[in-house]
Amino acid sequence: MVKKLKFSLLVFTSLAATIFLASTSLYAASKKITITGSTTVLPIAQRAAEAYMDIHKDISISVRGGGSGVGIAALIDGRADIADASRPIKTKELKTAREKGINPYANIVAKDGIAVVVHPDNPVNVLSLEELKKIYTGEITSWKEVGGLSKPIVVISRDFASGTFEVFKKLVLGGAKVKDRALMLASNKAVATTVTTTPDAIGYIGLGYLSDNVKALKINEVMPTNETVNDDSYKLARPLFMYTNGKPKGLIKSFIDFVLSLEGQKIIEEAGFVPVK
Amino acid sequence: MEGRIVKLSINKKGGNIVKGRTVLAILVILSAISIPRMLGAEETKLSMTLWNRGTVKRESGQYTERYFSLERGYLRIEPKFTDKIKGRFNLDFFSDDDALDGAGIKLKYAYLDFKELIPIPESKVTVGLIKSYFGTIYDWNYITIQKALEDKEKVISSTDYGIALYGYIPQGYGEYAISVLNGEGYKKTGGDVNLNPAYQANIRLIPIPGVTIGGSIRYEDVSFDPDTTISNLVYAGVGHIVVGPLELWGEYLVKDLEEIRSQGFMAMPIVKLKKLTFLDVDLVGRYDVWDKNIDVDDDGHSRITGGLNWNILRNAKNRPLIMLQANWERTMYEEEGKNSEDLYLIQLRWSFSTKIK
Repeated sequence: MVKKLKFSLLVFTSLAATIFLASTSLYAASKKITITGSTTVLPIAQRAAEAYMDIHKDISISVRGGGSGVGIAALIDGRADIADASRPIKTKELKTAREKGINPYANIVAKDGIAVVVHPDNPVNVLSLEELKKIYTGEITSWKEVGGLSKPIVVISRDFASGTFEVFKKLVLGGAKVKDRALMLASNKAVATTVTTTPDAIGYIGLGYLSDNVKALKINEVMPTNETVNDDSYKLARPLFMYTNGKPKGLIKSFIDFVLSLEGQKIIEEAGFVPVK
Repeated sequence: MEGRIVKLSINKKGGNIVKGRTVLAILVILSAISIPRMLGAEETKLSMTLWNRGTVKRESGQYTERYFSLERGYLRIEPKFTDKIKGRFNLDFFSDDDALDGAGIKLKYAYLDFKELIPIPESKVTVGLIKSYFGTIYDWNYITIQKALEDKEKVISSTDYGIALYGYIPQGYGEYAISVLNGEGYKKTGGDVNLNPAYQANIRLIPIPGVTIGGSIRYEDVSFDPDTTISNLVYAGVGHIVVGPLELWGEYLVKDLEEIRSQGFMAMPIVKLKKLTFLDVDLVGRYDVWDKNIDVDDDGHSRITGGLNWNILRNAKNRPLIMLQANWERTMYEEEGKNSEDLYLIQLRWSFSTKIK
């Protein structure tokens, strides 16, 4: 009898411990927001999270990069509440998400231009989309062919996991292959830093990463600015997303609403991106 | 207790065969890696997944087998030629008692995908030694160590020679596939290969997030000798439900070989503990029933499986890189006097990959 009681007690304790662990993790989740994804959207998410946590002291927001694909995968697997993405979700990802009971919902929080950048000492100021395509596919290999010095062009691209790369490939390359000898880098910051230190380099980065250390080129005679992205005259532009599981609710809605509020959109502008409101 | 013995003694002739096969394997791998490059592949993904398994079999109260094996060793070479053309070449290395050196190699996949070759959005045409888009076999993830029902009962082979049109239904509402296949899998070659085509269709619908329903059908004429041809119709219904940490797979499978009907089903519940606790462990259960001929009383069996999967390491996209699986499996036979069999399986699955640009 005593043995039976001990056994029952053990079972009950185990069950109680499991329920406790489950409930504490769920409770913890209710006070925490996890954001993962695009390195382009990362500065927006970071600044917005800091401002939001200043107002809501009891809320903890964790923000990570990794790329749009990584963020969407995290949303699908329930590891992230918000997936930052610099490209729309793919049908394959949407199918996988729905299979797993996730219903990705696109919240457009900003617009971004992809700025084509060179070293500040480079005399070239303007390129056409066609010239840009030829540089990235390897048809044009010297700056001389586009009005610059007789020096080889060092082509720098984002890597294949990047949403920025996918948008650039679609808008500039029309699906063509990037030249074999291009340097493929993992983040906007890495591209900006490499262009800063490589006089003959060309790269592309989100508007938020522009600084005095690099020179943005006009594309088809249009300079990438908030105004030209907003009025659609600059062609290398795209919306930036924060994907959520269904229409945002509760704490997630509160954060997304903050990003879309006047204060949030001001943060977006300060970060170098184009507000949508 | 008897153990499975891997013969390592090799005579001179056997040694030459082994050397020849090793050289051939190396040549095939090198070609598979270098040819895409020569053809101008944009990138080539190389990956390998190894399945190290320990098996203990118990029958009639006696342990009858106990062995370790490399059950599968998939070397995948996936060249991406353009955004619209990709290839996949998969070699399987495995432990094989019948081979002189204890190791076998077989070609598992060898196909090219042509995206939007025909003007249907989000579609691709797949040609070669391709996946068989049927039931649960084409996306079977080995949540239990055992194969998918149709594979285990040798109703459908996971790979077959042929051509398929595969596509996604817009907005993530599912997928479809239409295939014309050889219908015999990938193990036969030369004159043994069946020349009667098998026609196959598959659809999966996701009407609401977390609920998937689907069905597959295959029809072929089968020749056992030049004068005799009989029909073979196979169909399956598939269901998959996900609610929070709980998941349930179900499949109903029927094969009509002329007038002989075989049928069965599989149900597989999964509990993902990670969604409830800090443990990245899935608890899995499975129940299979298969009756080879429904008009015969004693040729059926059922199989119950219980186990867990511990995801030790995952990659950035949350795919398991190292997983430890432990399964207990009992097969019970309809035949009177035939005792049930127990299998105790432990398996370490581990993967690595890289991209060559």
